[in-house]
Amino acid sequence: MADFEPVLSRNWNVPDSHTLPVYESRGGYQSARKALTTMDPDKVVALVKESELRGRGGAGFPCGLKWSFLPKDRKETFMCINADESEPATFNNRLLMERDPHQLIEGIILGCFATKASTAYLYIRYEYINAYRILEKAVAEARAAGFLGKDILGSGFNLEIYVHRGAGAYICGEETGLIESLEGKRGWPRIKPPFPAIEGAFRKPTVVNNVETLCCVPHIVERGADWFKSIGTPKSYGPKLYCISGHVNKQVCVELPLGVTARELIEVHGGGVWKGRKAKLVVPGGISMGFLTADELDTKLDFEDIRKPGCLGLGTAAVTVMDDHTSIVDYLYNTTRFFAHESCGQCTPCREGCAWIYKTMKRIKGGGGRLVDLDIMLQLASNMGMMPGTTICGLADGASWPIRNAMAKLRPELEDYINTHQEGVRQITPLQEAIFAGQLAEPNLISISLPILNKV
Amino acid sequence: MASIIINGQEHTLPEGEKLNAIQAATRYGVDIPYYCWHPSLSVVANCRMCEIEVGSKDPKTGEIKMVPKLVPGCQTPAKDGTVLVTDSPKVHEHQRMVMEYLLANHPLDCPVCDQAGECGLQDYSFEHGQANHRYVEERTVNPRKDVSDLIQLNQDRCIMCTRCVRFTREITQTGELQVRNRGHHAEIDIFRDHPLDNPLAGNVVDLCPVGALLDKDFLHSQRVWFLSKHDSVCTRCSTGCNISAEENRGALWRFKPRFNPHVNDYWICDVGRYSYKAANDAALLSACYLRTAGDLGPAAIDKVLIEVGRSLASIAGAGGKTIGILSPFLTVEEAYLAASYLKGLNPANVLALGQVPVEGEDWSVKPDSTTGRTGDTSFIIPRPFTIHAERCPNRLGVSAVLEHFEDGLIDFASASARVAAGEFDGLYFASDAIDPWTDEAAAKALRAGVKYLVVQDTNVTPLAQLADAVIAGATFAEKAGCYVNADGRLQYSEAALAPRDGSLPDLDVFAILLGRDPAPIRSRDVLAELAGVIPVFAVAKDGRLPVFGAPIEGAEGVGMGGVPFQDAWAQHRGAKSSGN
Ligand SMILES: Cc1cc2nc3c(=O)[nH]c(=O)nc-3n(C[C@H](O)[C@H](O)[C@H](O)COP(=O)(O)O)c2cc1C
Ligand code: SF4
Ligand code: SF4
Repeated sequence: MADFEPVLSRNWNVPDSHTLPVYESRGGYQSARKALTTMDPDKVVALVKESELRGRGGAGFPCGLKWSFLPKDRKETFMCINADESEPATFNNRLLMERDPHQLIEGIILGCFATKASTAYLYIRYEYINAYRILEKAVAEARAAGFLGKDILGSGFNLEIYVHRGAGAYICGEETGLIESLEGKRGWPRIKPPFPAIEGAFRKPTVVNNVETLCCVPHIVERGADWFKSIGTPKSYGPKLYCISGHVNKQVCVELPLGVTARELIEVHGGGVWKGRKAKLVVPGGISMGFLTADELDTKLDFEDIRKPGCLGLGTAAVTVMDDHTSIVDYLYNTTRFFAHESCGQCTPCREGCAWIYKTMKRIKGGGGRLVDLDIMLQLASNMGMMPGTTICGLADGASWPIRNAMAKLRPELEDYINTHQEGVRQITPLQEAIFAGQLAEPNLISISLPILNKV
Repeated sequence: MASIIINGQEHTLPEGEKLNAIQAATRYGVDIPYYCWHPSLSVVANCRMCEIEVGSKDPKTGEIKMVPKLVPGCQTPAKDGTVLVTDSPKVHEHQRMVMEYLLANHPLDCPVCDQAGECGLQDYSFEHGQANHRYVEERTVNPRKDVSDLIQLNQDRCIMCTRCVRFTREITQTGELQVRNRGHHAEIDIFRDHPLDNPLAGNVVDLCPVGALLDKDFLHSQRVWFLSKHDSVCTRCSTGCNISAEENRGALWRFKPRFNPHVNDYWICDVGRYSYKAANDAALLSACYLRTAGDLGPAAIDKVLIEVGRSLASIAGAGGKTIGILSPFLTVEEAYLAASYLKGLNPANVLALGQVPVEGEDWSVKPDSTTGRTGDTSFIIPRPFTIHAERCPNRLGVSAVLEHFEDGLIDFASASARVAAGEFDGLYFASDAIDPWTDEAAAKALRAGVKYLVVQDTNVTPLAQLADAVIAGATFAEKAGCYVNADGRLQYSEAALAPRDGSLPDLDVFAILLGRDPAPIRSRDVLAELAGVIPVFAVAKDGRLPVFGAPIEGAEGVGMGGVPFQDAWAQHRGAKSSGN
């Protein structure tokens, strides 16, 4: 452990690390040179496969395997680089792009070389204006130096990178939402199959990879698959950028081998929970992934172990810490508001379900909760998402996970809150209650003209 | 042979067709409820109503493996060995959930909603929903708006199926509609200053499974369950779109498209859609007239017909000739009887084709599955749709009849010239054109060329004012019979309205003139007769045509066939209209 040497972030603190001369002086573009001049594309795919690099964008899908799904007889391939980083509390892609853009470009060159793509679209979230400017400059530099364009390094391989700014929505980070948005359409995810590898951007085979995933590739090419697999835990190899935020003393992004525990992250790298308090909730990878409670802090944050305490996955490894003064009600209110706001509105269960759950949370928070609301929310949450098969994309799973985790892990606190927080004006009316219970609305209820809706 | 297992029952799949689970199941009488899917639009699987359990049967071991989660039927290809379960508790539970979601923010204003009675929400709530309402939160109410002068959008009723949006992108490729905002605030909208005004715009109203998109022309005018539907053909152009002409209390209220894969796919154009109004026009000819002592006065129809028959017979008896000008608005049967009658009076009588109205140029849309569509498009058969410049339904049909009786077709211009030149003693002018023919000078010239003029029409025209006898014929809505469309397809159109007071359908007029049994004559019998006489119409041998019609001899069948389709909620669930 002690001898772990950061690679992804090794240039971050070097002055002018975003410029080509600095990058080259630190060994940059050697992997690209090596691959383009001495390897053939299939060998790069095989190498990445062998390294068992898993996608860092959230789903953890094996990268080499994804590349090998491309049809053999394809004529044209597109590469889309997912830099839409919109998962709350995630900022590792931003640092990768701002501090070391050439590492990403080299990764893109290798990824495109391996997948025989000669066009790459870097889809960057709208708000990342700084990263966008830096990337534009870096791409121009790389092109001027012959790392992009025609016949790169005399290998006959051509590549153009287009940096495309998104128009601002979480859902455009979902790979098919990204492709739609890139095509100039509304970022509504597509049904799969067909998967992007078969029919993606502009109806051509397309690979979508996260920024960090591609940034790992130059190092794999340089140091080999064995090196990569010597880092991390079984099935979760390699270095990973962990973002730590929330109630810690130090909000940072650190590069560590996959499989560090939440406790170590907080204590060692985050400088401990702030104000000397204790951690109550730890969100492992963006709020879509659910959360760990105080007794689950020894869980390893990798692709496999994180599932044991019931989290959805590692996600983006953006760890958010909440101290013991935080109410689970506030936490859920915020997450549900986020998902109700970000649901693209396409699938009925996600569109209506996220809004329903959010409105219920709002009522509970305001002091109008009922215990039965918890059952309803859990039931709604358990039936939406790709896992039960009721939605097109994974946003709904992400929306449901915090609810599911909260009901499983902290239900007593929620019940307690409801029992102790009752405000007359927030409560539902007897008429609503009657309708809810499936009873006919009593004539005398109508005659005293109770409002059907609570206007708050 | 490929087979599919639906709810434990094995069925043989039709060959050479690419079907999804919904289509395959319907073939075998199993309904899978759906909203967003439409056979002509890309598959987006967003309403999630059609979810079922799907699996596959191993051809060797016979073992059935089910997918562990629900899968949308619209997205599931029906292949050999596919297993569908549509009636399990899991599926029913899911349907209840989707219905609950869709109704959560729905205004439930069925009593004032035009869609009531043919609404996907009503039907499926009843069949698959639940009675109690667990949603106690404040409703999200999205605003109502107009998307064009003719179409209104009640956004609060919309279920975001995006059928309307896909129609404007994929079929008309005009893209007027879009979705804006996200989540439960998502709305259908137009772009500012770009209303939904393409020639096929009205179809979005038919596509909308709920009462969100509404035709302002029909708004609050009828409850749909009072309408009786008649399978007709639009006569506004030579495309011959299949329509359902919907009638109540002696008036037409609207036209809706009927699916015909060879003709109009699922659509009709707006001009055709609103052409129903011509049948309700209060100014239609409402009596027959005879000229006595120089004055045109109303007369009973039987008297008029006796007078016309006598006059034309006496012209023939005196060795004079009569010319019959038969308009392309007549049905094949009418043209046949008219021709038989005039030629029977005197074989030297001449038959000509009436005026063929032409307006502008043909307008087509050609759906291209490589552009505009991003959902799964593999189940779609792209079919073009054309609005013809030729604004009459039956030029080919009437011409074919005329060519049987006459060597070479005489068009309206040369017929008019010959009439004006005084070649004929009598003129029988049978029109029924939708737009009244108003050319006074031409009318005068025709009148001046003959001694005896009979006008059979639905409107009061300058020529009728000059006639010796005026017969009030049937409008397109009042007549039953066949038309031959621009592609040579012979199609049957049912009458939607009873003959209006004072008129007599043209077929009866000719039958009486021919001296046939005065009992009501049936177009089917005439069709059977003429099919035996005129080889071009041999396809209609026994007076019956397939649902989608049939190409007449010499015409090539256009487009791939299909099976009749209607959205579940649009199907007439009460008594079927008299029909075929
Ligand atoms: C709602 C939603 C949002 C997502 N947002 C992002 C994102 O912002 N950045 C990202 O890289 N991947 C995101 N993903 C994951 C992508 O769909 C996809 O899995 C990823 O880009 C694949 O890249 P990888 O294999 O390199 O991880 C998101 C997925 C979902 C369902
Ligand atoms: S699951 Fe939600 S976010 Fe994803 S496509 Fe469906 S509605 Fe959109
Ligand atoms: S307006 Fe109608 S057709 Fe359009 S999305 Fe809404 S429900 Fe569907």
